[in-house]
Parts: sequence; C-alpha cells; structure tokens
Amino acid sequence: MNNSSPANSNQYKNGNGTAREGYYRRLFRRFILLTLLCSLIPLLLVGWGINNYYTRFARNRMMLSFHTKVENHRKIIELFLKNRVSGLQVIAKTHPKEYLVNVSNLAHVFDILNSEYRSITDLGVIDERGRHLAYIGPYNLMDKNYSKAFWFKEVMKEGVYISDMFMGFRKVPHFIVAVTRSENGRKWILRATIDTESFRSLVENVRIGKTGEVYLLNRSGIYQTSPRFSGKIMEKASQPLGKPCEGIEVRMEDKSTNHAGPPHPRQLIAFGWLKQPQWMLVVRQDYSEAFNDVNHANLAALVFLVLSACAILIVAVFITSHMIKIIKKRDLEADGLNKQLMQAGKLASVGELSAGVAHEINNPLAIILTERQILMDLAKQSPLLPRDFMDQFNNSMSQIDMQIQRCKRITENLLRFSRRTKSVIEPVDLNEFLCEVINLMEREARSGGIKFLTDLEEGLQTVLSDPSQLQQVFLNIITNAIDAHEGKPYGSIRIRTRNDSAKAGVSITFEDTGCGISPKNLERIFDPFFTTKQVGRGTGLGLSICYSTVKRLGGDITVESELGKGTQFTLFFPYNPPADLQKDIEDVHTF
Amino acid sequence: MLGAKILLVDDEVVFTENMSKLLSSRGYRVATANSGDEAIRNLERENFDVVVLDLKMPGMDGLTTLKEIKKLDLFTETLILTGHGSIDSALDAIKLGAYDYLTKPCEIDELVAKIEGAWGKKDEEVKKDIQEKIQKVVESPSSVFDVFPREKK
Repeated sequence: MNNSSPANSNQYKNGNGTAREGYYRRLFRRFILLTLLCSLIPLLLVGWGINNYYTRFARNRMMLSFHTKVENHRKIIELFLKNRVSGLQVIAKTHPKEYLVNVSNLAHVFDILNSEYRSITDLGVIDERGRHLAYIGPYNLMDKNYSKAFWFKEVMKEGVYISDMFMGFRKVPHFIVAVTRSENGRKWILRATIDTESFRSLVENVRIGKTGEVYLLNRSGIYQTSPRFSGKIMEKASQPLGKPCEGIEVRMEDKSTNHAGPPHPRQLIAFGWLKQPQWMLVVRQDYSEAFNDVNHANLAALVFLVLSACAILIVAVFITSHMIKIIKKRDLEADGLNKQLMQAGKLASVGELSAGVAHEINNPLAIILTERQILMDLAKQSPLLPRDFMDQFNNSMSQIDMQIQRCKRITENLLRFSRRTKSVIEPVDLNEFLCEVINLMEREARSGGIKFLTDLEEGLQTVLSDPSQLQQVFLNIITNAIDAHEGKPYGSIRIRTRNDSAKAGVSITFEDTGCGISPKNLERIFDPFFTTKQVGRGTGLGLSICYSTVKRLGGDITVESELGKGTQFTLFFPYNPPADLQKDIEDVHTF
Repeated sequence: MLGAKILLVDDEVVFTENMSKLLSSRGYRVATANSGDEAIRNLERENFDVVVLDLKMPGMDGLTTLKEIKKLDLFTETLILTGHGSIDSALDAIKLGAYDYLTKPCEIDELVAKIEGAWGKKDEEVKKDIQEKIQKVVESPSSVFDVFPREKK
C-alpha cells in the first residue's frame, strides 16, 4: 500500500486532470472570444453607422436652422430700419418746415415717433447749410454745423440715408437716419438718431445659448453693435469680409487663435448682408454647444453600446461556463463509460486467455494426479518398503495432492471468466440471504476480532437473482473486508441494505474499518490478477469475478476508500434481472 | 466377475496410459484411443460398456466424436472427462446423450464412481431392451428373427 498517497474517497481519479483543466480553460477563452467577436463586431458596426448618419443629419439640420435664423433676423432688422425711414419720410412730407422748427411741435412729433417703441434718441431739423433749425434730444447740439459731416453730404445727395455707427459731436457711438424735403426750392433735413441700446437689444434678440453671439459689421469690418465676446462697438473685426451678396452663408469655422480677436473653439457661423445699409449680420456659436444635443445623443449611444457590450460579455461568460460545465459532465460520463469498457475489455481478454491457460494446465495436472495415484497403488502393493521411506512417501504424496488441489482452485477461478455460467434465477430476500452469509463468516471474523453490524431495511423487496453467484460475491467482499483488518486488534463490518425505488433495485453497502486502499490501488482494484496480498494468499481474481458477476446479474459495484480509515463497497442489484440473463434461464429450462 | 469394459479417449498419451494402468489395476478392461477417429474405429470393432471422452482434442473434437458414437447406436454410456471446464460444452454434451461429466484433474475414486454409475445405467438399458424384445417375441413369436437377428461375423 502506498502510504504517501493522499486520502481519497473518489472512485476513480482522473490522472490527466490538470491537462483537462487547461483544455477547459482554453476552450472557455476561445468560446468567449468567438462569442464576443460574433456579437460585438455587428453591434459596433451598427452603432458606428447609426451614429455617423445621425451626426450628419443633425449637423445639416443645425446648419439649416442657423440659415433660417439669420434670414429671419435680417428681415427683422431691415424692417426696423425701413420703418424708421418711412416714419421720418411721412413726417417730413406731411409737415412744413415752419411747423417743425417750433420745438414744441418737434417734441410732439418726437413723442409720436417714440410712442410705440422708444427707438429714437433725438430728432433734429437741419437746413441746407448744415445748421440746426430745431433739435429735441438729450444733447446740446443746436449750435453744431453739419455741413462738413459725411452723412450731411450723403443725405443731400441721396435724399434718404442711414449712416454707419460713428462718434460725431456727442462722442458716443450712434447712427442716424436722415431724409430731405424740398420746400419752395430749398432743401431741409429731418434727422433722427437711433437709440443704440434699443437697436442693440433688437439685434441680439436671437436666442442662441451661452456661447452664441449676434452682431453687425459694416463694409469696412467695423462692429456696428457690441458682440458678446468678439470685441466692442466701433472696433475693427478680425473677421474677413466677402463681397455683399443676397444669400446667406453657413459654415464651420475651425478653432482659431491666429487672428486679432479672442481665441475661440470650433464654431458654427452664419452671415448675410442687409440691403440698406450694407451691414453684415453675423450669428456664431460654439460648435460644442450648437451640437450639444447631438453630442448628448452620441454619449447616450456610447453608454448604451458599452452597456450592451457588458451585457454580451456577462451573457457570454454565463453561457460559456454553463456549456463548459455540460462538456465536463459529458466528459466525465464518457470517462466512466470508457473505464467500464476498458474493465470489460480486460475481463474479456483475460477470460479468453485464462480459459486456454486453465485447460493447458488442467491436463498436466491430471497426468500428475494419475502418476501420483500409480505410485500410491504401487506403494500399497509393496508392503516391504522401509517405514521411513513410507512416511516421507505419504507426506510427499499428500503435499502433491494439496498443491494439485491449489492449482485446480486457481484454474477454476480462471475459468469462471470465460464461463457464461447458466444462472438459476429465483426470488432472493437479500436481508435473509445476507444473514446466512454472515453466519457462514462469523467464526472467521470473530477470530480476527471483527464484529458484524447490520442495518437491514425492513420490508426490503426481493430481487430475482442467482443465489449461488450472489453468495460468491458477498463471501468475496466479506473475506476481503476481514483481510483488510490484518494487524488491527478489532474492527467492524457494517452491512446496510436499502430499497432504491428510483433505480428499481436494492443497494447493499459493506463498510469496513480496515486499512483502506490507496487511490493508486483503488483504480486497479477490479483488474484481474491485481492483489496486494502476500504471494500465495490471493489470486487477484476475487474482485474481478465479483465485478463481472455483478455486471452479469444486471447490477453495479462501486468502491470508495480512505487510506487508514476503511473501505466501502456499494452493490446494486435490480429487482428484475436483465433480458439476456432471463434468456439464459429459459435455455436452462428447455434443457 | 469381470469389470466394465472401458474405452479411454484422450489426446494426451501419458494420461491414457496412466489412467489405463490405474483402471486396469481396479479390475476394469481398458482400451485407449488418442483421437476421435481411433475411438470410432475401436467402437466399430468391439463393444465397450463405458467411453471416457475428452472434449478438447485435435482433429475430431469430443462433441463430434460423441455425435458419431450416438450414430453407431450402441449400448455404450459416454462419460465426459475434460480439462476445459466449460459448463456450456459439458451441458451440450449431456444434451447429446452423455451420461455425466467430470473435470480434470479428478481423483481416481471419483472417476471410478462415475464409471460404475454409467456401467449400471448401460446394464439397465440392455436389460430393458432385452425385456422389450422378449415381450415382443412373446406377443408375436414369428418376429423372433426380426428382434434377434443372426449375428454377423
């Protein structure tokens, strides 16, 4: 017995267990990789495709919305300026100069113009030489002469004029709207200054988030309103101007730090030219803000994608582990079957071999026996032989006989393999039967200090089986159990019977307190000629015969053992014998 | 009184010789044959009470020999003595009409007991046959030559 082996209660230990584990790990990784590849690649492709399409779609929509914004806003500003001009024109055409130069009349008109919307800061009447004839407003400009002012020249020439932002006499940025009227061959001008603040609020009355700004530039690129971030009114803008045109342009402006204005990130910019005056309306917004919704949607998609990938991973791991578990189980079952097959194969080949060997040995044995008999006969007929010789002769003869009988037992055992013994099947009460077997063995057990303990289930169903074969199996197992106690002063053999209705049979357990069997030996325990007993004491056939007998009777035999603690044989016999055994019975009956 | 007339059939010459000595010293009249063919030839030539037959022999094996013996329709009982302890072939032999079987190696006394049994059975068979024949002759005396044909020389 191998004492260094660890205690083991498994029936069989798989020798290449670690290699198997490695194989299962590789299989696991391969399955996971394959599952992930098969599911993630399509997912990523679909995700990428949808994201791409949606981003492009959203960008176009956003640009269209910017386009519309600028277009509408341009209309509003143009309408505002047109209204102011028309207002002045109506007043100039319907009121004579004499009426308007009266300050109270002018104040009345000023109030009418501002009644609905306070859009005019001041109002003045100016003669053809540039002198103020009347003025109503917060500044003291009555003594100012505008004959040199650029707007004066323009309005005298064009009849209607809207100026760019300028500082003028009042030294604050403002712009004016002026119209002329000819009365009695002499021109006079009605001039109004547009309220910078109200104009600014009108221009900026577009809702464009936190980073958006709206402003106006004149043809020279001077800010006509203060943008939120880019600069101040009257300052020169860094933005390049194109030629004034009808349409509206929307474009993406990349991150910029190179021009004079403050650096800004990537921006969406839309602009269009007003007709009169030729100002450029600019709307711009940071790209990140403009596309906030798209970015949110993309982020949500990404989160969804990651979650899906995680879910796939978890499901893949779960399914793969489950599959590996099934494969392991199948492999174990296959191992079990293989072992049974190998055992059966070993028994079959040994069976064939032993039949031949037994026959070949039996013949010489028979001859030896006849020779012995001849010598015995001769000795009997010769009474004069010396006494000493006769004593030795008789001794030798009985020894020869004993050894022949021993050989005969061995060959009989060998022949049991090849023999398909005809069975005598009858109902057997296993409880009663086991008690008989125990009675047979009790004396031998007692001499070894071993007690039988029985735990027999009451009402145990009878099985249809061959009593003589059963007896052989039980005797063999009990003899082994008794032998396992060698060197121990006392011990016990516990025999337990149970109905196993699920498998339709009876299970019998023989549990001894003997020396146990090492895992290495446990693997070979049912092999023919395998014995741990001293030479001459065991043939190594007992348990092999048990194994083949139990299998032939349609049952099963398993063994569990722990070195130093004991061994447990569990036998199972079906209530009804298998079909081929029943056929044997019929054969016997017909004979 | 003479012992039974025995034909020992076994391919092992030493075995047949030894057995012949042992049985002769116990009062039997023994002839030996070392093959099935030889046995059949012996049986065709003279009558034996008991044939002790080995099953496994080269050439004609024991079962075939047994069939041939049965074909001869003699008043002879066959005892199977075989080293091949297969119950199947022994049972087959008994089905074919063998008296009993023994496995090698067996004690001489055991064999003698079986031979006595076989011889006794053979005698009974002969007696029964004669009685039946006498009965027939009594019932129909004209059939005496049909029942007891003249022996051919």
